[in-house]
Amino acid sequence: MLAAARSPEQCYSHSMRELRALTPAQLALAEQRLLNPAPGSRIAAAKDFGIDLTLLLQQLRLDPAERAWQMLELCQQVEQLRGRALRKTR
Amino acid sequence: MRFDIAVQTLVDAGVDFVLIGGWAAILNGSARTTRDLDLCYARTPENHRRLAAALSPFRPRPREFPAELPFVWDAATLNNGTLFTLSTTLGSIDLLAEVSGLGSFEQVKASAKLVQAFDRSVWTLDLRGLIDSKRAAGRPKDLQALPELESLLETLDD
Repeated sequence: MLAAARSPEQCYSHSMRELRALTPAQLALAEQRLLNPAPGSRIAAAKDFGIDLTLLLQQLRLDPAERAWQMLELCQQVEQLRGRALRKTR
Repeated sequence: MRFDIAVQTLVDAGVDFVLIGGWAAILNGSARTTRDLDLCYARTPENHRRLAAALSPFRPRPREFPAELPFVWDAATLNNGTLFTLSTTLGSIDLLAEVSGLGSFEQVKASAKLVQAFDRSVWTLDLRGLIDSKRAAGRPKDLQALPELESLLETLDD
């Protein structure tokens, strides 16, 4: 589910001590910043460092709970692959 | 690894803790995977009792600790240390009483936000806290995480 589908009260506010999904406006700004990094910015530096900014955007489109479930599944898959590779080399 | 069960168990047991490290980064938008669950916990006798009891069913034991040596996991053990790198049946769990660059649990919690994760409300370190702690830790793996975290902070800056 994309953050754009959420009502504003369900969304993230930096001033609150709560981490929530981005509002549609925040997501639009994030898209603009990540897809067109300003020269000399931290975002541009991260891109030069090799960070895939489209992956970050993908994460920011999710709410934190979705990020957690999705990443848990990915980490479990990575661990399984690592386990299989270790067994093969033994 | 079943870090969902670990988080659910700790929250349900009333353990006072903050997610730090890789999982805190993930909740804040990082796309990096992680192999362990890092927590900063309150160093009080009651919290030690709760934490010890909550993790006990998952057979915590220090990683790299010789199998032939006995290890007792209880509140007294927690009371005698400030850093535990544990293997458990749920996966690797690191417990820290303080975090480099931030300080004690109270200072870590002051840099934390409440978030919904794994069907629970849990405190997680915010991006600024993560950046400060990674920079202070200074290990290669911490420094490698900085460009992504700093770009996220800039992306989400009002």
